[in-house]
Amino acid sequence: MFTDELGILALYGLFVCLVLFLQVSGAATQFDMGYLLSSRDEKRTLEGMVGRMERALNNSIVALALFAPPILILALRQHGDGLSLVGAQIFLIARILYVPAYVFNLIGLRTLLWLAGFACTIGLYLLAL
Amino acid sequence: MTPELSALAVAILLHVALQGLFAVRANRELGPRYTTGPRDTLPERPLGSTTARIQRATDNSLDSLILFAPAALMVGLSHYGGPITAAAAWVFVAARLLYIPAYALGLAPWRSAVWMLGLAATVVLVVATLV
Repeated sequence: MFTDELGILALYGLFVCLVLFLQVSGAATQFDMGYLLSSRDEKRTLEGMVGRMERALNNSIVALALFAPPILILALRQHGDGLSLVGAQIFLIARILYVPAYVFNLIGLRTLLWLAGFACTIGLYLLAL
Repeated sequence: MTPELSALAVAILLHVALQGLFAVRANRELGPRYTTGPRDTLPERPLGSTTARIQRATDNSLDSLILFAPAALMVGLSHYGGPITAAAAWVFVAARLLYIPAYALGLAPWRSAVWMLGLAATVVLVVATLV
């Protein structure tokens, strides 16, 4: 049952792990190790590019939560076709570019990429039906 | 049921139990009038430090499940599973279980260590579907 769309899902999952790694590395440049390892009772806020990376990470996780179900449904129902593969590919490209667009503050482009990913997700749900 | 799917079921129940633990403590500390209200404002008194830790652990638990669930489903429903992925899936569950007391009791660096272990186990599952 392993479809090409599932391969895209796996790649996106790994990409989110990479963003998570970058975010933790960035946080280590702003907070001391003692704070990072502690239970963080005192709330501290990440600033600048690292703060943006944190917000981009949170949005990437939400996007994964929405993207995974239609990809799994398509695979289980064997409803996948060329269109669903293209939709998944555009999602992946848009969501990868979204992170640098957020971190480097590319106003407009970030929102456009977010919209592209979201539109692909909705399209995949429709194809899954 | 493949081992990866069984581990996913246990992981979900563990998350629900953690969410329940937080809800009970939050209700006791903030009162049901606040918790059942629309929460338009912050509560008069903040959560106690242990309950706040449990809240952060719950948030992190949800994020970890969002990554783990698709990975477990991909492996569990395909022919990519094997002893390594079965072990990784159960390591994830064990790590996420230990993460809760490690966070609540402030066990540094163990909280970070078991967090990393859970993430690494997830990556093993995802990579198994790509090789």
